[in-house]
Amino acid sequence: MSFVIEADDRERKKGMPMTGMRLVFCGGAMLLAGGCIQVKAPEKPIEINLNVNVKQEVVVRLQKDAQEFITENPELFPQ
Amino acid sequence: MTRKTKLSIIGLTAIIAAGMGGYAWAQTGDAALSAAMASGQVGEQADGYLGLAKPVGGDVRSAVEALNIKRRAAYTDQAAKHGVALREWAATIGCQTLRNRVKTGQAYLLPDGVWRVKDSSPIALPSTCG
Repeated sequence: MSFVIEADDRERKKGMPMTGMRLVFCGGAMLLAGGCIQVKAPEKPIEINLNVNVKQEVVVRLQKDAQEFITENPELFPQ
Repeated sequence: MTRKTKLSIIGLTAIIAAGMGGYAWAQTGDAALSAAMASGQVGEQADGYLGLAKPVGGDVRSAVEALNIKRRAAYTDQAAKHGVALREWAATIGCQTLRNRVKTGQAYLLPDGVWRVKDSSPIALPSTCG
């Protein structure tokens, strides 16, 4: 932080106000961006695993009804 | 016999004739489809629909398309009743047809996109079939 303040002072002497503030904002934005990447990385594979599990669970749950549906609608399932 | 009665009889005869014609056509389509399935040209897919394993004639192709439209309509209804996505219900049907209905010598399609012909051993089902 002290580095930022010094840069701020130096830039002001050159007659360029607000540059120091920009540096602070940039630093903040970079910190936030870094934080975002770290949070996202572990989330993605977990989501994929959940999807696979839900689908398999749904299929297993529906199997009995699906078999009944096939038996009751033989015209849809020629052999 | 009044004019009205005559007209009614003619109309009725026309309706019956048209109905029988449609029935005969449907029977022909079904027979062609069954023959195509028995010979491995048409087969069940893991996604719950019929597909063409080999090139077929126009009559068989239209029969497959017509049946898939009927299936989709029935699947949509069932998916809503069970509170699941159409694709999920269709895939469940696919698991059951591959498990129980495909006979030896018939073609079937797995999610890898490869048509195979069933031999005496059970079909290796996709992992989603449970």
